Amino acid sequence: MKTGINRRILSFLMFAIVAFSHSRAVAQTALVEPPILAGLVKDGVLPPMSERLPLSPLVLHVAEMGREIGKSGGEIRMLMADQRDLRIMTLYGYTRLMRFNLKQELKPDILQDMIVEEGRKFTLVLRKGHRWSDGTPLTAEDFRYWWEDVANDKKLSPGGPPIAMLPDGEAPTFEILDSHRVRYTWPSPNPSFLPALAAAQPLYILMPAHYMRQFHQKHVNADALQRTVRAARVKDWTALHEQKARQYRAENPDLPTLDPWRNRTAPPAERFVFERNPYYHRVDETGQQLPYLDRIVINIATGALIPTKVGAGDSDLQARYLSFDNYTFLKIAEKRQDFTVKLWKRAEGSRIAIYPNLNASDPVWLSLVRDVRVRKAMSLSINRRDINNVIFYGLVKEGANTMLDGSPLYDPAFQTAHATYNPAEANRLLDEAGLTKRDIEGYRILPDGRRAEVSVEGAGDSADETDSIELIIDNFRAIGIRLLYRVSQRELFRRRILLGDTVLSLWAGWDNGLAGPDTEPEALVPSNRGQYQWPRFGQYAETSGAQGDKIDIPEVQELADLRVAWRKSVTREERMDIWRKMLKIHSDNAFIIGIVNSTPQPIIVSRRLRNVPDQGWFSFEPGAFLGIYHPETFWLTDAGKRN
Amino acid sequence: MLRYIARRFLLMIPTLLIASALIFTVMELPPGDFFETFVSEMQAQGEKADMSRVEFLKKEYHLDKPPVERYFYWLADFAQGNYGYSFEYQLPVSDIIGDKLILTILISTLTIIFTWAIAFPIGIYSATHQYSWGDYGLTFLGLLGLAIPHFLMALVVMYFANVWFGLSIGGLMEPEYLNQPMSMAKFTSVLKHIWLPVVLIGITGTGGMIRAVRANLLDELDKQYVVTARAKGLPPGRALMKYPFRMSLNFFISDIGSVLPSVVSGAEIVAIVLSLPTTGPLLVRALQAQDMYLAGSFLMFLAILTVIGVLISDIALAMLDPRVRLQGGATK
Repeated sequence: MKTGINRRILSFLMFAIVAFSHSRAVAQTALVEPPILAGLVKDGVLPPMSERLPLSPLVLHVAEMGREIGKSGGEIRMLMADQRDLRIMTLYGYTRLMRFNLKQELKPDILQDMIVEEGRKFTLVLRKGHRWSDGTPLTAEDFRYWWEDVANDKKLSPGGPPIAMLPDGEAPTFEILDSHRVRYTWPSPNPSFLPALAAAQPLYILMPAHYMRQFHQKHVNADALQRTVRAARVKDWTALHEQKARQYRAENPDLPTLDPWRNRTAPPAERFVFERNPYYHRVDETGQQLPYLDRIVINIATGALIPTKVGAGDSDLQARYLSFDNYTFLKIAEKRQDFTVKLWKRAEGSRIAIYPNLNASDPVWLSLVRDVRVRKAMSLSINRRDINNVIFYGLVKEGANTMLDGSPLYDPAFQTAHATYNPAEANRLLDEAGLTKRDIEGYRILPDGRRAEVSVEGAGDSADETDSIELIIDNFRAIGIRLLYRVSQRELFRRRILLGDTVLSLWAGWDNGLAGPDTEPEALVPSNRGQYQWPRFGQYAETSGAQGDKIDIPEVQELADLRVAWRKSVTREERMDIWRKMLKIHSDNAFIIGIVNSTPQPIIVSRRLRNVPDQGWFSFEPGAFLGIYHPETFWLTDAGKRN
Repeated sequence: MLRYIARRFLLMIPTLLIASALIFTVMELPPGDFFETFVSEMQAQGEKADMSRVEFLKKEYHLDKPPVERYFYWLADFAQGNYGYSFEYQLPVSDIIGDKLILTILISTLTIIFTWAIAFPIGIYSATHQYSWGDYGLTFLGLLGLAIPHFLMALVVMYFANVWFGLSIGGLMEPEYLNQPMSMAKFTSVLKHIWLPVVLIGITGTGGMIRAVRANLLDELDKQYVVTARAKGLPPGRALMKYPFRMSLNFFISDIGSVLPSVVSGAEIVAIVLSLPTTGPLLVRALQAQDMYLAGSFLMFLAILTVIGVLISDIALAMLDPRVRLQGGATK
């Protein structure tokens, strides 16, 4: 009783302080209980909102974001293809320790504050009174549990802590300063740390210790644990712990979470219900707790049928599994159904790009694609305007594979570099590269006497790609290169590229065309074998030199050196500078030949659902698809009626 | 007879061993494994794979061992009733299949009953009224059912059901019953939805069955014993049902062997189109994703059921038809 009063006084004081420090603070208006929870509070099942929220909740100024202040309540339906898609809720919820905003700046979210010293000392300050979705306080212990009992447990993490925690292979010292402050200190700067926390697929450095302990060998007696293991029909306790602890793919309905919605359905199931987290830490400026929506229901359907089902009105908010091919069908359905179709933009550096394989095994083609003049000639030969008009109805942007205009690193010069249609210049460059002889059909002849005939390989999973390549084949013909399009199954495709059997391949450009200086620049340097322009350099980096080839191209080495510099950088300005240099190298060298970008992504939104922006970027990284647009502020106009 | 059954039982063991080796080999043939497929699928959607646990899972489920060794791990586990672990669902295989099995069996059983209930009367009518207008008409319908792929029919029916009647597409019950335990209301909801898949899946089978019944019965009807029976004044119904019809059933009994596995697997493609919560789509997806323990264990079940089904039909055939039973010099 006494503590209750103290608590209330304390919270009043804290609100007063918040009210003073932020002129627009929430405390000026009374907190408004979401209607669905009011009954539970009255029955004493849930504590009132003032006790559920942290002392200083995160206030979203919905009106300032250009949106309407909504009403709590209601449920929306979405369609997903399988259980793995439950991660979509972690993405749409986009609640992280730190969060990127739309300007690609890192801001505290779950954390009240993050104090960084010398780029290597990170003090994380939790919000006092912040609670997990089951009402247990979130404390420093949850960080300790993950670091000591999970990441550094030989059995649970045979590979040791995640890479982002180990710059130059060095682990941080972890300290608990008090119940709501922890500190990680590395010997050298670790600029990867914060972006990793804010990533779409984040680095989780905390776990609900009070819940997870019951599955940990260290914390319960062996017999009891053995019984739980047997009941769950898994191999041993590590498998059990792993299964129960999945935070990214929210499968375990019992696992406490910090996200706006929590899963209430145990898999396997055909329908998953996510309910509001009554302890969520964000409120709007009128004191309503977010999210506005009480429930999100995910129905599982066959992926290929999802557009059809959406057209039949089976989803209230859907972008995933819809593609631009479906646009006309959805527009027709729009007339019959209660939804509108919006067109967002996809944020790949390029929707379709040609990857010359700098690790190709054919020696003649290898020396050609390694010649920057040849790569530039290929890029200059492509008539991007035609592709835009014929295949994308003139709705997309033509340009090289680089940062898009939504990125702080956008530079129009990079967009147009070697990306204008100029077959004469292309022909001149190829002549200069030594391919002067032509055969009777006008195709060039390679130094070893073969015709300049090469296959461009693709995975063929989108009509955009297969249609565009037909036009590109004609463009290449005009510069005397014969292209043959070849489709193979995705794993074979990857494998052939890695082995060097493929000279040119077709794939989307960089996944993240909106990167900011804080984004880890791994896509720009050899880092994994899925990089089709230099798969073997990537493999070398990925396996620390055990497989693959060492970089033997000076420009690529320069990129790799810049990445090392990025990893040692301390300030945002430094990183900005490094990123610009890297983009410049890419632009000068045309390692990846981009074609068109900013392709439209249909997103259907129920007419009852408000606050979904008309324009937006749809991408996994950054932005977690819808996540960065605050789905917790989406609300239903008939929310009141339904409850 | 008993010796015959015992011998057949023993023969099942090597048959199943060969089947298991075949299943395993076929699953090993495509390049890569589940994790590679998984990574490339994620990449295709512009996402990163959840790699943090991949090494852990690989070790846990012996994916780092050579294939032959893995085959024996799998076989030994299977024999002990441990059907392995689905990487895609991250759950034990038995948990995943268990739920779906009941509905699958329900749909398949209803489909079989539907097929028989329609095909037998029509087949008998067609055979006894050969080359009449009725025979032509029904044969035409039967051939139509046989000729149209049922997944295509399902798509067309679903589209018009939605556009004309506003029915939701696919599924076996109203969404709100999906996670609930079986109740009267849920059962009614299932009954309301189940006729569509049953009819769609059944139609193809019905067409084929009509043709088979008609052809087999016609073979018998021309035989002399039928003429004799008629000449002796046996009532037409008895002269049809007691002898020729019974004889024409042989094809049908030997077909039981293939019915049993199809009861469990359901019609895969139609089930995918209709989003039915049956085992068919599960199997297809597991094969695509190279989720090898799920796919392997499931295929192994089908193999076992096929072998048992064939045994049952052989025994039934021997009991039904003395010509089969007494072959090879055996006497009554």
